[in-house]
Amino acid sequence: MHGRVKVKTTAQQEEEKRKEREKKLKIYVAARDACFSKRKDAVFDDEALQLTQQLLSSNPDFATLWNYRREILTHLETVKDEDEVQKIYEAELSFLESCLKVNPKSYGSWHHRGWVSARLPRPAWTRELSLCDRCLSLDDRNFHCWDYRRMVVKMSDVPVKQELEFTDRLIGSNFSNYSSWHYRSTLLPLLHPESAERPSQRGDPPHSPSPPCPQTHSHRVCEEQLLKEYELVQNAFFTDPNDQSAWFYYRWLLGRAEREEMISCVYVSREEERVAVAFSRPVNARSGVLLLVLDGQPQRVEWRSVHPHFKHSPVWICDLPPGTISDITNEHNLTVHWTEKHAHRDCALYTGRSESWCRDTATDLELFRSELSVEKTSVLQSELQSVNQLQELEPLNKWCLLTIILLMRALDPLGYEKETLAHFQTLKEVDSMRSAYYGDLCSKFMIENTILKMEYAEVRVFSISDRNLTTLCHLDQLLLVTHINLSSNQLRRLPPQFAMLQCLEVVEADNNSIENLEGVYHLPKLEEVSLKNNQISTPADLQPLASCPKLKRLDLRGNPVTQTANVESELAELLPSVTDLLL
Amino acid sequence: MSAQLKDVIIKPDAPSSLLLDKHADYIAAYGSKKDDYEYTLSEYLRMSGIYWGLTVMDLMDQLQRMNRQEIIDFIKACQHECGGISASIGHDPHLLYTLSAVQILCLYDSVDAIDVDKVVDYVKGLQQEDGSFAGDKWGEIDTRFSFCAVATLALLGKMDTINVGKAVEFVLSCMNFDGGFGCRPGSESHAGQIYCCTGFLSLTGQLHQLNADLLGWWLCERQLPSGGLNGRPEKLPDVCYSWWVLASLKIIGRIHWIDKDKLRRFILACQDEETGGFADRPGDMVDPFHTLFGVAGLSLLGDEQIKAVNPVLCMPEDVLQRVGLRPDLLS
Ligand SMILES: [Zn+2]
Repeated sequence: MHGRVKVKTTAQQEEEKRKEREKKLKIYVAARDACFSKRKDAVFDDEALQLTQQLLSSNPDFATLWNYRREILTHLETVKDEDEVQKIYEAELSFLESCLKVNPKSYGSWHHRGWVSARLPRPAWTRELSLCDRCLSLDDRNFHCWDYRRMVVKMSDVPVKQELEFTDRLIGSNFSNYSSWHYRSTLLPLLHPESAERPSQRGDPPHSPSPPCPQTHSHRVCEEQLLKEYELVQNAFFTDPNDQSAWFYYRWLLGRAEREEMISCVYVSREEERVAVAFSRPVNARSGVLLLVLDGQPQRVEWRSVHPHFKHSPVWICDLPPGTISDITNEHNLTVHWTEKHAHRDCALYTGRSESWCRDTATDLELFRSELSVEKTSVLQSELQSVNQLQELEPLNKWCLLTIILLMRALDPLGYEKETLAHFQTLKEVDSMRSAYYGDLCSKFMIENTILKMEYAEVRVFSISDRNLTTLCHLDQLLLVTHINLSSNQLRRLPPQFAMLQCLEVVEADNNSIENLEGVYHLPKLEEVSLKNNQISTPADLQPLASCPKLKRLDLRGNPVTQTANVESELAELLPSVTDLLL
Repeated sequence: MSAQLKDVIIKPDAPSSLLLDKHADYIAAYGSKKDDYEYTLSEYLRMSGIYWGLTVMDLMDQLQRMNRQEIIDFIKACQHECGGISASIGHDPHLLYTLSAVQILCLYDSVDAIDVDKVVDYVKGLQQEDGSFAGDKWGEIDTRFSFCAVATLALLGKMDTINVGKAVEFVLSCMNFDGGFGCRPGSESHAGQIYCCTGFLSLTGQLHQLNADLLGWWLCERQLPSGGLNGRPEKLPDVCYSWWVLASLKIIGRIHWIDKDKLRRFILACQDEETGGFADRPGDMVDPFHTLFGVAGLSLLGDEQIKAVNPVLCMPEDVLQRVGLRPDLLS
């Protein structure tokens, strides 16, 4: 029950109501039972249509009665001629129209209307489209009607262009209309797809919208149209800067295409005789998905994700049979085939080298940026200027602040880092309900920036201390990192994803609030872990470290665990490889 | 034209503590008004009504107050020749009520009371070529029904009887520009559908297909200054949407992106101090539907007076443990 305000009533009113309800109940039950018994006897007559109509007009959610009506109607189809059937269905449509007037949000009525419309001997889709127009003019957010409209458009091949113009009109009369912006997001890529060819040379634009495919859906609209959309949205948010619809849409426009599915890195370690493979998206590579070829010979290896927590993971590892590559005087050539995607990546391990990797360097710098052409960059620059202007008028508008951050990231993430941080600070203050969201988003951006800096410097050290990090992400990008410094942040855990850092030797994570080390799991090269001033409270919390065979130095000073009795002996038993324990 | 922010104001005298006893009394009494007009009118969804009532009673550890045998007999009487289960006697079978019935039987640890193989055949028979599920033989397609299908099969341990890959493909084809999901491909995002689709992806082990950061942002933007959550932009807050948004956030590991204290205050303010039960908004009429989602929401927010609820199936965690079902959650 929705939106029924509770009203205080007197005892007398209550009694009157009770009597009235009793009367209604009798009528209702009689009609219902009559319907049920007729149906049981397979009676498909006018009286049954009357009875179900009577009940459905006040209770359109009584699905079984719609089913009964459909049985009657399909029966009538077999005994009447086409004109009569046409008339019967026309009558059904006007009955439905009266139902929808009373209850425009009934699933049953809308589904039945679609069913009837599709069975009409001479369909009248134009009329249905104008019914949608009328219905949406009364409530432009009625998603049942929007869905019905999409069905009508599909059945009658309404051109996409015409539907886009419809959203133009709706948005033009009221910018605050999330449903219309949503509809645009499904139409634009059909009408103006991003393509090497120019849309005008593509011949006729596609007609009825086909279901968007998820992989291509966050995809892209051609640049020329994008520029027009920026303008439209800008009009919207300058008119009403607090209307979220346009801002949501704008963020979509600024988004980037999904990364192509590929093997982004292959790493091989001679000492561990281990191969690690990173993918651009999480995959399940457990059985038969990956083929490892070593010096021309397919290898029987067992692939596993880096942590039992993940069935799908962007990083997978396998151990080679002992002795296969351990001799440092030998050179080896590896190829990892991703059979179902027809993708592969080679990696050569040269004589005298203890490890080697091969990865996709071309995408490194563009990982976290929009895919921009030069023209678009200058457009975004001027977008940033106008949103900055808006922000001067509306200094505390959160949508505006967030959009500025996104534009800055699209343009020059490192160059704007200081401003970005300042804006995040303001955001957390003006929209405190969502401060944890902003904290996590800011952490993500700072991690992206640090990855970019690391790539520029061509080092394997990832250092991001004192940045208010609340969460860790993009850890699959850190497969080759040997030293990580996460000190003086607000981290509470080293999550299972942390196990993707397969080359890690040193972890510094002092001065956080870490209480969970789940992700420090089977890291074969890990030697030093510094966790000063965290929230590790029991020796059991350190259990994951026991899976790291080379761990020698562990600093736990300033953790509650140091206060437990016999901690030293317990840890000596749990972590026998540690020779340098600081408590 | 300025978008007026739609929200409610919580009065200072609104309830601010949890009235568990009153809610248990309200639900226990609800089923005894069988001759009531309003009660009869809702016959078309009776099976779900019973699921709402029983689940909230179980979450409050009061399940023993309900009439177990009567309910199990009723469910048996609602199973049809085709295997599907109807909302009530005389009504037609549908996936919505088939799931509710199976959920109830799991609460009572009595799944064998019905013909399980036939239920499985019924669900399987409703899968379409594109992977979607029709709600019944009349062919309405909706991602809600995809959820009903896999939830029913997961509870019965029979997920492998359908084409899971195709089912996943269809649900993913309903993903939108905002990371959310609608009823069908191209439909606008809606918190109820998002709950169904994230739940579906959890049960099928495909949560990594979500754009969790984008979806999480849309979801946490559902929280209004009153603390309540709405189901779509520019809509009023509601206890049931609060559940759907909250459960979805829990499934995608981002429940901390909303202000939990404020939401708790909103949910508590939707209680009726006189009659017990929760309404959609403060001051409205209560019903078992919002009572379940109010209590389940408080459970997800960590209220220790209530049993832990599973965000995917909206059932007590101890029941799922018994069934041996542990749906994935993103960390
Ligand atoms: Zn509601």
